[in-house]
Amino acid sequence: MATSPHPTVTIAVDAMGGDHAPDEIVRGVAALSIEAPHIQTLLVGDEPRLSELLTKIRHDAERISIFHASELIGMEDKPGEALEQRPDASITVAAKLVASGAAQALVSAGNTGASVMACSRNWKRIAGVRRAALAAVYPTELRRGEKDDPFSLILDVGATLDVTAEDLVAFALMGSAYASRVSKNERPRVALLSNGSEAGKGPPEIVEAHRLLASSPDLNFVGNVEGVDIPRGTADVVVCSGFVGNVVLKMLEGVADTIVRLAGYAYKERLVWRAGLMMLSGGISRLKEVTDWEQYGGAPLLGFDRLFIKAHGRSKARAITNACKVAAKAVGSDVHGEIERAMKAFEARRAA
Amino acid sequence: MAHTHVYRWDLDKTYLKTDFDSLRSLIKTAFEKPEDKLAVPGASALLRELRGGGTGRICFISGSPRQMRKVLTRKLHLDGVEFDEFILKPNLRNMLTGRFRAMREQVGYKLPALLAGRAGLPAETPETCFGDDAESDGFIYSLYADVIARRIDRPSLEKVLVAAGTYPADALRALALAQALPEADAVRRIFIRLDRHSPTARFDRYGARLVPIFNYLQVAAVLYQDGLLPPAAVGRVALEMIDRFAYSIDALKNSLEDLIRRNRLRTSVTAQLGRELLADAPPAMGQLPGSRERLEAFAQKIAALPETRRGTALKQEPIDYLAALEADLPYRRK
Repeated sequence: MATSPHPTVTIAVDAMGGDHAPDEIVRGVAALSIEAPHIQTLLVGDEPRLSELLTKIRHDAERISIFHASELIGMEDKPGEALEQRPDASITVAAKLVASGAAQALVSAGNTGASVMACSRNWKRIAGVRRAALAAVYPTELRRGEKDDPFSLILDVGATLDVTAEDLVAFALMGSAYASRVSKNERPRVALLSNGSEAGKGPPEIVEAHRLLASSPDLNFVGNVEGVDIPRGTADVVVCSGFVGNVVLKMLEGVADTIVRLAGYAYKERLVWRAGLMMLSGGISRLKEVTDWEQYGGAPLLGFDRLFIKAHGRSKARAITNACKVAAKAVGSDVHGEIERAMKAFEARRAA
Repeated sequence: MAHTHVYRWDLDKTYLKTDFDSLRSLIKTAFEKPEDKLAVPGASALLRELRGGGTGRICFISGSPRQMRKVLTRKLHLDGVEFDEFILKPNLRNMLTGRFRAMREQVGYKLPALLAGRAGLPAETPETCFGDDAESDGFIYSLYADVIARRIDRPSLEKVLVAAGTYPADALRALALAQALPEADAVRRIFIRLDRHSPTARFDRYGARLVPIFNYLQVAAVLYQDGLLPPAAVGRVALEMIDRFAYSIDALKNSLEDLIRRNRLRTSVTAQLGRELLADAPPAMGQLPGSRERLEAFAQKIAALPETRRGTALKQEPIDYLAALEADLPYRRK
């Protein structure tokens, strides 16, 4: 076992969640065990099956532990019902392990609703946070932070569909705290997603949130942005309701997929186009690399006293490896401490 | 003092952390000073325990050239490791006589050397062998075990040696030595260190006798289960890994759980080991501040390991060595 300069972090991984579970989840964790000496993983799921899978792939057993869970929740299951009916579901067991302190963060590619509910049933919310938010990263034209990070953060992308102005303010504070710690961006630019840049544009909760955020000196609030500003990178943290965020995220993913498909079509259609694409292949590869969701790792669920990284349902091994790395980085960066401090400061100022 | 058990060790990647996967690292290894060479965590502690005041016979057999004897023996002395036999490969002679294939090939070198090493021992002396997954150690040790136990006949052995690319002179020597030895089912265990993180299932074909391992605490625990090491010896191996190599207690616990899942170690054994370490850890154990506490924390963890759903236990069935050679080929080419 190589010694590592990083403190050891233990991540609970829901091995049974996701379209390619458990095989790809186990592969991702196995690769992680070789690549990242400072990360221990606690694989939660059908122990005999997970053990059997591990014997067939390269891994380092010193960094992997298995915790048996006899049930699982499928991608199509109704979250509330499934959680009630299957108390030993892998996502519930994993969330409980994190609550008990056996692991410091949770990663799952499984049913988003069930995952969020499992966290909310077993973890505490940070003081001042009423609703949790799922934050997704998206590559943009402008870069940010001391690491020249190409990713901006969009939250919420699906945890809370109906929001109040206070919820949006909490999302802004949490997103800013996350970006400042994980992207090492000292003063991230925070914006509200609306249908116009003017303060009075948008539904009442957006207008009210704008007023509250504009008077918050701790945040680098840059006002409202429109959809077109997201890929440009005008803001480092884009705040919206879970409903709007989910639609935006899926649309951005859809556009990226369509461009790749259109390029494939063009490649087949005409020789001149093919030649053009070949000349651009280096740039296209770089673009694909930047827009490749598998390398982002996953979306952090913010607002609880523990960290959950929601990996894409279609995640394969590489995405799981990266999701665990993101989780370890967030734990090591004390994101929760930063969110707690930000919420406390905001509440104190409001009370005054 | 009569030796009650023979321990045969490969050196590079088994005892020493060696990197010769590139020409640059190979050159670096060749010119490294003894004090710069690094042992695999826990290996020197385990060897000291196996030596057991002289009752265990320690034999090294390495593919390194004979010219490295001085550096390598000095390294072992620095680590406080005593040995009885130290065999190195005659690579200069191989090169000068045009036996270039023999410089890389291991079966034709190690099998006769192992058989010759067995020649002077009482027939019943048990053996345990240590190697790694970088070359053919699992194959060679298993073949050696079956040859001395007469589980493989002469024509079959001939075929295997030919298929392994052994020079005729080496093959003939191996056959003669095998014939001269008394029958003995002596090889109790073969431990293969997974330096390249090979899947453990790669070694299933060699049966229950061969145990792929991730670290030397796993070896110590299995030998404790076999009655070959006392609990304090396992504790000292664990402590070397914790104190000298910054192993976390969780990493050690995970590695024992891995053996339990693979049905190589029983939970009742880890529970007993934990209890014995808690009750009777020797005072000399661990020189660093807090060593005793770290060992206790480790003992508590393993004393309480939950019963896991274990995989199917492997049996020791006849090995198809020709198929094993074929299957090992991609790994040997790396």
